[in-house]
Amino acid sequence: MSTNHNKIRPVYRPVFINLMQIKLPVSAIMSITHRLSGIYNFFITLPVALYLLYYSTKSYNDFILIQDTLSNPNMISTFVTFSFLVYSYHILTGIRHLLQDIHIGESLSASRTSAYMILIVWFSLFFLLMMRLYL
Amino acid sequence: MKGSSLFYLLRLSALVMLVYTIWVLSFIFFNQPVEYNSWISFTNQILFQLSTTFVAFFFLAHTFIGLWTVGTDYFTSRTLGFVNTSLAKHADLIRSGYTFLFVALGALIVITTLFIIWS
Repeated sequence: MSTNHNKIRPVYRPVFINLMQIKLPVSAIMSITHRLSGIYNFFITLPVALYLLYYSTKSYNDFILIQDTLSNPNMISTFVTFSFLVYSYHILTGIRHLLQDIHIGESLSASRTSAYMILIVWFSLFFLLMMRLYL
Repeated sequence: MKGSSLFYLLRLSALVMLVYTIWVLSFIFFNQPVEYNSWISFTNQILFQLSTTFVAFFFLAHTFIGLWTVGTDYFTSRTLGFVNTSLAKHADLIRSGYTFLFVALGALIVITTLFIIWS
């Protein structure tokens, strides 16, 4: 460790960070929501998917019950659709991150464009699936 | 494990799960409306059972790396100190508890998956 004791520091350097004053760029929002959606997938989407797999292969009656529940607008089908939409969001932002790992769309303008593209694709998917459920 | 190995394992497992997801979704998409018999014959085929088993272990690796990164980012004495200084003193304990929780849940999910697939 270097000795920094005697260095002159600016007096008004920020000590307490006010998170409300930080405006995240859209690519940073992509990054944090990718992380949040990953946590959601692990704790909610995957157990839901396992539950559906178990009951849809258990017996014919259980299969029909699940198919009936999921194809009609109600709390459960909305929740399941939303959970899989979060999964699709994690996949979309994940593909974007993977492409950036192999140096595709790394520049500031390209990453901004791809971020907005993903948001447009995901919200279209959102409205498409919800319309399919409710209309 | 080396950091670069974790980096590649995270991305490899992501691609494996992506291919698997596209495969299962394309079956559901092209067989609308899905009927019980076709769904049963799809999930009872050996290819589905083997690939789901395979993917379950990649899932474990992927979520372990991802959630471990989240834990070492947010459950440290520095970040917990932003919330509460007495909480920060127990940061290591809190992080261990969190790690235990998601490892146990991940193992439970994999065991349940294997049970559902192979029974």
